[in-house]
Amino acid sequence: MNLLSDEHPLVIFVGAGGVGKTTLAAALGVVSARAGRDTLVMTFDPSLRLKDALGVGQEAKEHAVRVDLEAVGELHASLLDARRTFDRLIERYAPDAEARRRVLDNRFYQHLSGSLGGILEYMAVERLFEVAAAGRYRQVVLDTPPTRQALDFLEAPARIVGFLDSGALRVALRPWFDEQGRLKATSRLGGLGRRAERFLDEVVGLDLLRDMAEFFQAFSPLFAGFRERASQVEELLRSSKTLFVLVAGPGEERIPDTLFFARRLRQAGYHLGPIVVNRVHPEPDEPLRPGPPAAAELAPGSAPAPVPGLVDGIQLLTWLGERDRRGLVQLAQLLSDAQPLVDLPLRAEEPTDLPSLADLGADLEDRLADWRRHLRRES
Amino acid sequence: MDIAARLGRLQLLVVTGKGGVGKTAAAASLGRLLAAAGRRVLVLEVDPRENVHQMLAVPPSGGAIVRAGTRLWVQNLKPGQVLDDIVRERLKVEMLARRVLASPVYEQFSAGAPGLKELAILGHALRLLRRVGPPDAPQLDLVVLDAPATGHGVRLLAAPRLVSEVIGDGPFGALAGELAGFVADPERCGIVVVTQAEEMPVEEALELREALASQLGRQPELLIVNGLFPPLPAGLERPEVFDPVEPLLPPAPPPAPEMPLGAELLTFWRHRRFLNERELERLARWWEGPRIELPLLALERGPALTDALQQLLAAGLAPGAAGTAAAANAPTPSIAGGAGVAGAEQA
Repeated sequence: MNLLSDEHPLVIFVGAGGVGKTTLAAALGVVSARAGRDTLVMTFDPSLRLKDALGVGQEAKEHAVRVDLEAVGELHASLLDARRTFDRLIERYAPDAEARRRVLDNRFYQHLSGSLGGILEYMAVERLFEVAAAGRYRQVVLDTPPTRQALDFLEAPARIVGFLDSGALRVALRPWFDEQGRLKATSRLGGLGRRAERFLDEVVGLDLLRDMAEFFQAFSPLFAGFRERASQVEELLRSSKTLFVLVAGPGEERIPDTLFFARRLRQAGYHLGPIVVNRVHPEPDEPLRPGPPAAAELAPGSAPAPVPGLVDGIQLLTWLGERDRRGLVQLAQLLSDAQPLVDLPLRAEEPTDLPSLADLGADLEDRLADWRRHLRRES
Repeated sequence: MDIAARLGRLQLLVVTGKGGVGKTAAAASLGRLLAAAGRRVLVLEVDPRENVHQMLAVPPSGGAIVRAGTRLWVQNLKPGQVLDDIVRERLKVEMLARRVLASPVYEQFSAGAPGLKELAILGHALRLLRRVGPPDAPQLDLVVLDAPATGHGVRLLAAPRLVSEVIGDGPFGALAGELAGFVADPERCGIVVVTQAEEMPVEEALELREALASQLGRQPELLIVNGLFPPLPAGLERPEVFDPVEPLLPPAPPPAPEMPLGAELLTFWRHRRFLNERELERLARWWEGPRIELPLLALERGPALTDALQQLLAAGLAPGAAGTAAAANAPTPSIAGGAGVAGAEQA
């Protein structure tokens, strides 16, 4: 199997936080450009070193930046900033300056829109769509945001559409407060409504509700464009041209998460490509079981007494290597034979410059090209 | 200063850090440590996927408060459930409660109102501590909160203040104000940051420290540096060839003794340890405040790991222990637990 192909110009890396998605996305980008494909890598939260390696700074939040890489294809990188994308979206869809100002000036939007039904996660795919629609790149590689639930962002477009279609929105769009400053939605309910309103006032204070209502009203002229866009984004994610790479951590304890993500992706109709078990601890060259008696064997000749700390260290490293190997073998058994699965070793140093990213990307491509044999050999 | 005693006087201990650094293991072992010291402790988890119970060898909480040892309980909290419960509790008429819970205004509000989930979590902890929650809840001295990963952790702690500033008065604002006072009070609420000595987690820990200072005027009580590879034995620390990081290393190493045991593994060990030490130095330079270093342990996630971490924490947090660096300006970081192993992929 091959990640870089015109069959899927869009490759999306998903997986739990801290498994190395961002580095892998950058690595694939480098390899892609080297293969002559004009490529864009979109990442969320690269480390300082990775930002340095790619040569991207604040300006990459506004537009894609050309990476200084000697390659046949061009490599560009951009940083995804949800709030900035949201602002831009509002600027684009607001019918006039007044509507734009009303949203951007709204207190609720300014301070608090961060938790609004996952809307910020949606901004990742939104920005992706912008790029895909422009069609400037032959290959786009997307890193995904560090959400607690790794697949949250995938649901974002559906959630937005659902939200826009929901009764809740119709309620939100109807002016909530009548001339007396009373909640209309509850006044309809009569006595019960008054008690419900008192409750809402008691718990939340009506000021907050007023701010929210104002926000939705100010936002309403933007909804039509927004809604259409959300469905298009959804379509793009499910298209066969979009391939998902699921990145997982090593070790048996991560297996349930990995299986869960894989199943969710497939069930939801996304195209799952390979599963990459990343940062697998190296195994000892030969099985080492250094208990105290065996310690002498570790350094025969040179040191008659065991080196203090050596046995503990070797035991730990052996344990880590074996644990990760066990996890990988188990995962392979639980997956269907048709599911591409590769592992990548934990490297001595995190790849944070272009040559080491190229190495990592090439390693990934090699292992994928030959994944069946690779796995058999390894297990 | 006796950090263990200081932590033991608090009512809420928020344990936060980047995902995958061993936050849950740290929260569970801290909870157990403080319970062993005589406090009545609840370890509260807000992750939809339960983990804490595994660390303490009890069945999943499923939302209930589950006993997990002497003076120790665990609970997995669903913030939405807390809100619904408050509605039921306040609106004693069941039909009315159902009406509110089903109403689009409530649905939209509870899903979309900013800061509400965070307030629900903190409010839940406060209610338990004050015994105004469910009548069958145990009496507690301390809640150890296994908080969401770093970014969300700051949001959790900053939510009360943000909400109280935006809303001003009103009952919701008043609650937010009260919680903001609670979170800001170093006598009642403490923050423990968990990290690993690798670039990204350290970066996040330092950013978190700044965010806490600027948004809350707070400093963390403790930094736990988890998962350290062990130092290399004397004579083996220096590689003969150390390509990627060569320029950063001290000059010409003495010839290493014969290494028949897998040179690759040894090189790997050296590199990882070198990375650890580089990040420990960065922390020594930039992290002001107490810090404890824990080794990577050859133990799967589970009660044995919790036990081991509890003992390491107890030893490291005791007054005068070598494992903590109370002043961060030490030229070289102190390494806890010499022969032990560092470790922390255990989540």
